Amino acid sequence: MDQPLSRPSPLNQRAIWGLVAFGAIALSLYQAGLFQRDWLNLGGLSQLGRFFQASVQPDLSPEFLRLTLNAIVVTLAYAVCGTCLSLLFGLVGGVLVSEVWWQSVFPRQAKQRSIWLTIRAGLAIPRAIHELIWGLFLINIFGLDPLVAIVAIAIPYGAIVAKVFSEILDETPRQPLMALLSSGVAPLTAFTYSLLPQAFLDLLSYSFYRFECSIRSAAVLGIIGAGGLGYQILLSLQSLRYEQLWTLFYALFVLNGTVDLTSAVLRHRLGSPSRLDLNLRRDNRSKSQKLEELRDGYSTSSDGQESHPTQNAADQVSMLKQQRQPRDRGVMVAGLGAVLLIPFCFWYVSADFSKLWSPRTMQLLADITQSSLPPNFDGEQLPQLLALSWQTLAMSILAIAAAGIGGILLSFPAAHNFFLPGGLLNPTQSSRLGCLLAWGMLLLTRSVLLIARAVPAPIWALVALFVLFPGILPGAIALGLHNLGILGRLMAEVAENLDQRPLLALKAQGTPASLVFLYGVLPTTMTRFLAYILYRWEVCMRETVIVGLVGAGGLGRLLTEQLSSFDYSSVIVTLSSFVVLTFIVDWVSGRMRRSLR
Amino acid sequence: MKRTLLSALLVLMLPLAACSPGSETASSPQDSVAQPFVTGAIPDQDPEKLQRLYSKLADYLEAELGVPVEYQPVTDYTAAVTAFRVGDLDMVWFGGLTGVQARLQVEGSEAIAQRDIDADFHSVFIANKNTGIAPLNDLNELTNLKGRTFTFGSESSTSGRLMPQYFLEQAGVSLEDFRGEVGFSQSHDATIQLVEAGTYEVGVLNEQVWKSRVEAGDIDLSKVDVIWRSPAYFDYHWVINPQVKERYGEDFVEQVQAALLKLDPNVPEQKEILELFGANQFIETENSNYQQIEDVGRAIGKIQ
Repeated sequence: MDQPLSRPSPLNQRAIWGLVAFGAIALSLYQAGLFQRDWLNLGGLSQLGRFFQASVQPDLSPEFLRLTLNAIVVTLAYAVCGTCLSLLFGLVGGVLVSEVWWQSVFPRQAKQRSIWLTIRAGLAIPRAIHELIWGLFLINIFGLDPLVAIVAIAIPYGAIVAKVFSEILDETPRQPLMALLSSGVAPLTAFTYSLLPQAFLDLLSYSFYRFECSIRSAAVLGIIGAGGLGYQILLSLQSLRYEQLWTLFYALFVLNGTVDLTSAVLRHRLGSPSRLDLNLRRDNRSKSQKLEELRDGYSTSSDGQESHPTQNAADQVSMLKQQRQPRDRGVMVAGLGAVLLIPFCFWYVSADFSKLWSPRTMQLLADITQSSLPPNFDGEQLPQLLALSWQTLAMSILAIAAAGIGGILLSFPAAHNFFLPGGLLNPTQSSRLGCLLAWGMLLLTRSVLLIARAVPAPIWALVALFVLFPGILPGAIALGLHNLGILGRLMAEVAENLDQRPLLALKAQGTPASLVFLYGVLPTTMTRFLAYILYRWEVCMRETVIVGLVGAGGLGRLLTEQLSSFDYSSVIVTLSSFVVLTFIVDWVSGRMRRSLR
Repeated sequence: MKRTLLSALLVLMLPLAACSPGSETASSPQDSVAQPFVTGAIPDQDPEKLQRLYSKLADYLEAELGVPVEYQPVTDYTAAVTAFRVGDLDMVWFGGLTGVQARLQVEGSEAIAQRDIDADFHSVFIANKNTGIAPLNDLNELTNLKGRTFTFGSESSTSGRLMPQYFLEQAGVSLEDFRGEVGFSQSHDATIQLVEAGTYEVGVLNEQVWKSRVEAGDIDLSKVDVIWRSPAYFDYHWVINPQVKERYGEDFVEQVQAALLKLDPNVPEQKEILELFGANQFIETENSNYQQIEDVGRAIGKIQ
């Protein structure tokens, strides 16, 4: 063929990763047995009906309402304390594992790089283990104390926050920092006065997101030992009191909804309207390459998004400057609220922080270390571990695929800039009915997303198990549903924060809505959507532990069995497998995200 | 703006520092005589009712024993055993297996009381009617279940897992003989629902729960019914930690035992407590009653 323009090879990196993804999903479906046997169990429809029927008649007895109200406060308090601690860990850890910190402290020492990479990879260990498992472990050393729940949230979340914070710091423009460093300011001081304030808004908006996650986490940590929604849900679940469960779910909706809304409003006021902003940059720029590219004044025409980061950062700096002058009263009130709320929560939870370093803790830690060493591992277990790891992986792949597809589908009607009057995909002249319909759809999809993410995954697992035969599939669907709620909301935010100008231009030219969508909206959002899906994949994998009741929990099932047998030397082995899986998932998702740039 | 937020953030960190010394001072007087006697329970049946009304038993014990009694809510078998081991729970209402697991981890701890029904406890195997599985006449017919899908209750449950697995193995049925992986529904009620739905063809649970659900009319007996009742074994019991003797006196264990046994179904308030446990009365028990559970636990690998 004699073409004037050379086309890029269809077999580029992106296409290859795409094929890999489809292959993985197909393999996982095969593992789920979708093509070999019955998977739909219509016999359970009445059970399913009973579950949803209870949603219209929740237990509203005054006694139970009081209990629920109390549980809300407890959950909130735990979430606040857990978030505070994880942010503290995350901030310290984030600075320490950021590339820019290592470069500032040890300039021009290539050897340090390997140490840095090792430390950074080490963060995968706390992340790989679910909060619930951390909780069970911590009871061993702290005993029954509110501290257990707080630290159980803080450890894995702290590691995640450290990872994200370090990436944010690495992506913040470094010129001011370099200027300070080269004039002889000590690294810590230089950080405090340049990078940290520069990245402050990004860090803060991510912190809000973490808080939302903590609330969901506190809702599955039934072992808290002091009540809370997670505890009450577990109790009611054990004897399947659906009416009570729904009351508690409604409490979760209110709590989740309020926190999400407050956080959205606050972030908007602060001029950092999306949590995604940071992810966009994180996903789109690989750390070391990026700066060089910036310096070279790169101009890539193939990927228009590449220019976003700099622009965003510049925007934010200017935004920061603008915001200096008018003090937003709402933000002040919220800040004051937080200042009051946080000490209150710590007081309310009254965790015994002295237990962190008490002699008894040390003694108990020594005990459990002793009983878990040496790890009970021999070659014979390897095939079993591999099979279970694959099961876990397959479940997480199916879950994230389901969550991703569902999230994408629901995100557009849930975003306010598409179908509403004046929206991108809305014809200019719309009838009153159409307007109502659009609003109705917006509210409906948003509630669906809220319900999906507020109801804990183990509950979805039981519900899925009513109508599906046991196996990977019900587990994947349960995790998929829960994560769909989270992804859909994040994606809706991406869509709302799209650069509207090209789309408006298309619309103004009279392009039909479907074409605006296909050629304007999809290309600009899809890469970011995929980046988010990949980011969430790791979480799905960790969560396979809590849906073990579906009869094919993979490593999670094995882990619960070993924990309930107090077989700690085997627990160590299973946990290591989880860590290895997390490494793999981390690596694959990192590579895939990079290919999406 | 930014400065306000930064300073706010700094203020937020203050309680972290402030908290620890405060709680330290709070914990030191606790070590004296007033340290409460901490009890806990992971009931198998209607935990939501029992856990939420548990304070009644604590009040009763406090009046009887003359020491402060505290109730610590725990929902997880593993967590309860661990808390008992580290000494944060002084007395726990354990299931058969978890009681043994706990005693083996705390030297000198004793099983002191159980319900009248616990000395003669049974599991029931239930099957979905569509499977056409006929009621089994004896243990050996458990082999009829080969090739079916099957679910236990919770991993640590004595009646929903340990003893049923033991009986299955006695009949020569291993877990691999079932179709697919064996399920762990996590609770007796979930087992009933999942077998009724047909998700699993066969399941096994605590007979007491089954009976009470049938009485309450919660079960569609045209869809699911009992196919076999297991032989009897010992189940739930109170286990007490020996450290209470040091704290409250040598005869404290006997006092607690006496207080539990004294619960009288003819006194309305005490009847309420007994009803919460599904008991007519508490009776004496001893460690040796659970030797069979321990042996089975070791054979199955639940006790290392």
